[in-house]
Amino acid sequence: MLRIGVDIGGTFTDFCGWREGEHDVISLKVPSTPPAFENGFRQGFENLLELLSPKIGEAALVMHGTTVSTNAVIERKGPKIAFFVTKGYRDLLELQRMGVRNPLNIFENRTRPLIARSMVFEVEERLVRGGVVETPIDEAAAEASVRRAIAAGAAGYAVALLHSYADPRHEQAVARVIRRVVGDDAEVSLSSEIWPRIGEYERATLSVLNAFVRQRMNQYIGAVESYVAERLPGSQLFVTRSNGGAMAAAEARTFPVHTLLSGPASGVTAVQYLGRSLGERNILTMDMGGTSTDISLVRDGEALTSTAAEVGDFPVVMPVTGIEAIGAGGGSIATIDAGVLRIGPQSAGSYPGPACFSRGGMAPTLTDAYLLAGYLPEALLGGEMKLDRTAAERAMAPIAEALGTDTLSAAEMCITVASSNMVAGVLPYLARQGVDPEELTLLVYGGAGALQGPLLAAEIGVNRVLVPSTPSVFCALGGLVSELSNDTLETVHGVYVDGPTIASKFSVLKERAAEWLSRQAPSDRLVVEKFEYWAEMRYVGQSFQIDVRLPDSAVDSGNIAAMHEAFHKEYERIYSHADSCAAAEFVDLRMRVRGALSIPEPSSPRTSTGGKALKTMRPMRFQGEVFPEVCVYDRGRLGLNEEVRGPAVIEQPEATIIVPPGFAARVGAYGAIFMSRS
Amino acid sequence: MDAVRTAIMSNRFNAIVEEASAAVYRTAHTTFVKLVQDYQCALATADGDMFAYPMMSGVNVFIGSPMRPTLDAIGRENLNPGDIVITNDPFATDGLVTHLMDITLLYPIFRDGKLIAVAWAFVHASDIGGAVPGSISPAFTEVFQEGLRLRPVKLYENGVLNVAIKSILEDNSRIPGELWGDMQAMISGLKSMDRRINELCDRYGRAAVEEGMHDVIGYAESKARAVIETIPDGVYSFSDYLEGINKGQLAYFSVTITVNGGEIEVDFSGTDPQLSAAYNLVTGATTHPYVVMCLITFILTMDPLTPRNSGILRAIHAHAPRGTVLNAVFPASGGSRAASATRAYDIIMGCLAQALPEGLGAAGAGMAGVIVVSAPDPRTGRDRVNVINTIHGGGGGRRGSDGVDGTEVRYAQRMVPVEVIEVETPIIMRTIRSVPDSRRAGKFSSGAALEMEIENTANRAVMTVRNMNRFVFAPWGFRGGEKGLLGQTLVNPGRPDERSIGKISVLEMGQGDVVRITSPTGGGFGDPLERDIKAIATDIENGMLSRERAAEAYAVIFDADGGINEPATSAERERKREHELADFNFCDERKRHDRVWPLPMRRQLACLALTFEQRIRSQLVANVHSQLLNEGSQVKPGKLKEVVDNEVMRLSGKLGRAS
Repeated sequence: MLRIGVDIGGTFTDFCGWREGEHDVISLKVPSTPPAFENGFRQGFENLLELLSPKIGEAALVMHGTTVSTNAVIERKGPKIAFFVTKGYRDLLELQRMGVRNPLNIFENRTRPLIARSMVFEVEERLVRGGVVETPIDEAAAEASVRRAIAAGAAGYAVALLHSYADPRHEQAVARVIRRVVGDDAEVSLSSEIWPRIGEYERATLSVLNAFVRQRMNQYIGAVESYVAERLPGSQLFVTRSNGGAMAAAEARTFPVHTLLSGPASGVTAVQYLGRSLGERNILTMDMGGTSTDISLVRDGEALTSTAAEVGDFPVVMPVTGIEAIGAGGGSIATIDAGVLRIGPQSAGSYPGPACFSRGGMAPTLTDAYLLAGYLPEALLGGEMKLDRTAAERAMAPIAEALGTDTLSAAEMCITVASSNMVAGVLPYLARQGVDPEELTLLVYGGAGALQGPLLAAEIGVNRVLVPSTPSVFCALGGLVSELSNDTLETVHGVYVDGPTIASKFSVLKERAAEWLSRQAPSDRLVVEKFEYWAEMRYVGQSFQIDVRLPDSAVDSGNIAAMHEAFHKEYERIYSHADSCAAAEFVDLRMRVRGALSIPEPSSPRTSTGGKALKTMRPMRFQGEVFPEVCVYDRGRLGLNEEVRGPAVIEQPEATIIVPPGFAARVGAYGAIFMSRS
Repeated sequence: MDAVRTAIMSNRFNAIVEEASAAVYRTAHTTFVKLVQDYQCALATADGDMFAYPMMSGVNVFIGSPMRPTLDAIGRENLNPGDIVITNDPFATDGLVTHLMDITLLYPIFRDGKLIAVAWAFVHASDIGGAVPGSISPAFTEVFQEGLRLRPVKLYENGVLNVAIKSILEDNSRIPGELWGDMQAMISGLKSMDRRINELCDRYGRAAVEEGMHDVIGYAESKARAVIETIPDGVYSFSDYLEGINKGQLAYFSVTITVNGGEIEVDFSGTDPQLSAAYNLVTGATTHPYVVMCLITFILTMDPLTPRNSGILRAIHAHAPRGTVLNAVFPASGGSRAASATRAYDIIMGCLAQALPEGLGAAGAGMAGVIVVSAPDPRTGRDRVNVINTIHGGGGGRRGSDGVDGTEVRYAQRMVPVEVIEVETPIIMRTIRSVPDSRRAGKFSSGAALEMEIENTANRAVMTVRNMNRFVFAPWGFRGGEKGLLGQTLVNPGRPDERSIGKISVLEMGQGDVVRITSPTGGGFGDPLERDIKAIATDIENGMLSRERAAEAYAVIFDADGGINEPATSAERERKREHELADFNFCDERKRHDRVWPLPMRRQLACLALTFEQRIRSQLVANVHSQLLNEGSQVKPGKLKEVVDNEVMRLSGKLGRAS
């Protein structure tokens, strides 16, 4: 049996492959082929199979990460969807709880909904608190609305009725009416089915997002699935999801909303996997590409979960791996603004990209600065992609002139300012999580992560930096090792619940979770099944709540005191104070199920005996100081535990690693490079 | 100014204040901090000029609040390491604090024994005593009703807590524990700023850090000046009214702006004396950010990368005469001062609309109401006071885009979900909607009015809505744009006992009673006859614009099948077009009012009133205003003087009621 991880990004499609029982994980990259991403997938898949050479009859479990759904939302490309809502709330999607993002922009607007008001239909019905029916649903009127929706060109349906988190029957009735009129194959997305959480706008948004991307994802995953089935009969396709786990392809075709934030989540899953093997439990992750830099936290071995994520400015409130964008990427442009050097927010992105990429970019970018400062070699991707130093110099010249210095110094000043930009993003982020940078290891990946990351670490007081052996295909590795995972929820806001009630509610959630898992994969493929109890809780009278992991023993025995204890402890951890005498209450109960498939042990590349790693020496500039002869090493030739003292550069085909002055690096377990202050 | 060092220091300073702001938020106890984010912290130079201010969390209206008068009064030589100064007194701090609920701390930061910076933090305390829970009521007439007042005193001296101050604070709040918790949260933020500034000095040296503070202020200043330079030189005046809490009470707000190159003068002379209502704002002797928020917003709109610090204010010279509602003196009440800040924003907008050749925006709805219901909690049966939601109104049309539906950009606050309200209170929200045909016509229309229908299911409930406004004079439209709509409230709409009640102060609701609050809307922007036909068609298709109104307001001609006949519409529009459009479109009520009270006369009344003793001013203005309005003939200087003199005699107790 083969395991294959695939991650499709805007520029590259990355692959990882592993045969169960074997040692090595193989990886490769091919260019992505938007908008027909299927083609890039096929190309890379064929290349990978050549390397893996499957035996006759050998099948694969393919874990697929895709941004097809995310792009559909961001580009707002989707079919016409009809939305059904409780009478009185036709403007729910437009009003969006009223807030606007930036009150200091006179011309600010709210995000335009994905569904126009003309496609929103009010349903005569009303539930009130507790899901009690106040006005029964008028099915005849609903049917008339459905017919109007069809006449207006509806190709999909989303339904969100008030208080459906407490009782889904009215939403289900609307779904029945739609199917009666349209047929059984009508694509209906119910808010109560996707994420039955209190809060009508956010819940409705999930149903709308799901409906909006469903057709495109159904098509895309269908195509990939049949290709894989044809190419390696007996294989199964899984799709990675925003919570860092994966689900069966069929599930993803019905609930594609769960894939919207899967891209960056996979990277963090890989971090957790590597961190577990290396015994690193508190990690700041940094994924830096051409257009953006994402950070996240793994604390005590677990990825940080967020219920306040966004995609295309729409809220996504189910628990997902918490990722924070902190701006600048390799394409960020340097400017002189009122006499001050600035990096970004304008970006040349991947196209036209940095001046040195020779794709038409004329502006000086951070990548040009890396080249001019001596950090980057003259060619990337193992020599395949030549960098144009002259173009970079030409682009940087005006900046150097304004700064009254040479291009080498100007380049390093750009990099220093970029680091300070990131400091302004990272430190407040850590403060919000209540984490001290000194407790963390920084794990860097993505195209530019290993360049800028170590410099950032030096600035924020992180003492250890880790560079995985394949930093540029890290998300594909995350896919390969991800577990099948799902969250289920019951809202108990405003309902009095005692210990036994909670225990019995959780046992219902557990049944549903187990049933979900059984739909994803045959049970003999699952190595481990885990069930986690979570709750959103708060002090009585408060208007905000926190996520609490409830101990298994407390839930199993219905021990409410132990649950409250867990709440006080978590509250203390987050807010640095708690009142163990005050009464606490539950807002919702949540179960996360994880089913682990067998995964590889992290592999250690065959390391050389060392000694011949020094490739060359180049002048470079760090923190205002010029180092005329900085050593450049070949990563493949570094021996295990061979130490490299900063300032130095370590090169590998698809990544360049900076060892800042004051740091020392060595190749350690699993081929990862460890850096620490010397 | 060093190009690289300034960039690095700017980023570093931002990181420090954002980190501290996050720490305050994370460790604070009360709902005002957690839900409304009514708190902040920042860093100032030893002189008292703010050089770094957070933007990711907390309130944004105090960028560059005046700190010098407070530091001068304390005496910088009296500050020592480990001191923390506490105050919530607007008068003693001359506007560093703008109402009593904002408990404020100052923390001197030392390096090598030298005072190099001052850290500032405040939280809106959920209760500091006074006559009502929460300490705020617009009806309060004196600061004494609003709770405890502390002039700047040392809460900590050389690191030692002054227990007496702590007890006074705790003994005067309904929620002492939470209040003290919020103090601790602020202190953790202040200490974090101290630590980080010192780390920065370790790294770059004290001199570089101190120079960096001045550089980033200079950077903001030069960017702000560059924006101001785009405003044509000239003198621009504008006035508007804020509705008071009593029937017929109208406070006059007046401003004159003088633009000269990169400098801008903002003179609020002619604004009414402070009110005997809690709408008063203390702003002090220098430019206070809260009253020039419109200009700050304009600068940040035009150049969003301007560093947010006191440098922005350097080119803005604002003056509000002492004793006016925009620069009140002791013992003014000010709990609801935000209402006045809203109107100050509006009148500066009126000046910018005249100054910029293409205009900027029409008036917004101009109110920020807070709906509070006191009723039994359905979960416990016990009475509970619930902030149900805020209610604003449709934004004004803007140069280049329609107004926002149901709210204005300046109020970023999010609503509480209906489902949460319905679980936690006995209220059922029958609807929250945009009212069709309420968007005011313009090349760019206003946002729609917001309508809420609130039903009480308990045996009784009491609803208060503070800060409702625009029930008398509609917001103005700009250059051909239609004037806004007034707000309206109906009890039991569509039932036999339906009644219109105007602004709600306190409303008793029986079981099953429904209140429908319809917000005002802002005005339209530009000539409706120039509105894009496609935008009109979309409004019609979406059910927000009726064909009748499209025909009337936008001169749209329809075909027999209901589609828009574009050639006929163009011809009709050409026929109707007026070539001279006045800058402002006021409502008829305001025009009638202005005929009796020409603006120069009204300004004169405000100025005259300021020459009399403080205790009678508010009443004097109100009485003279309404008396002459009732008489109905245009006010002339001689008549004004006569009526004022009479009224002064009467109010001073020197003359009996006129016979």
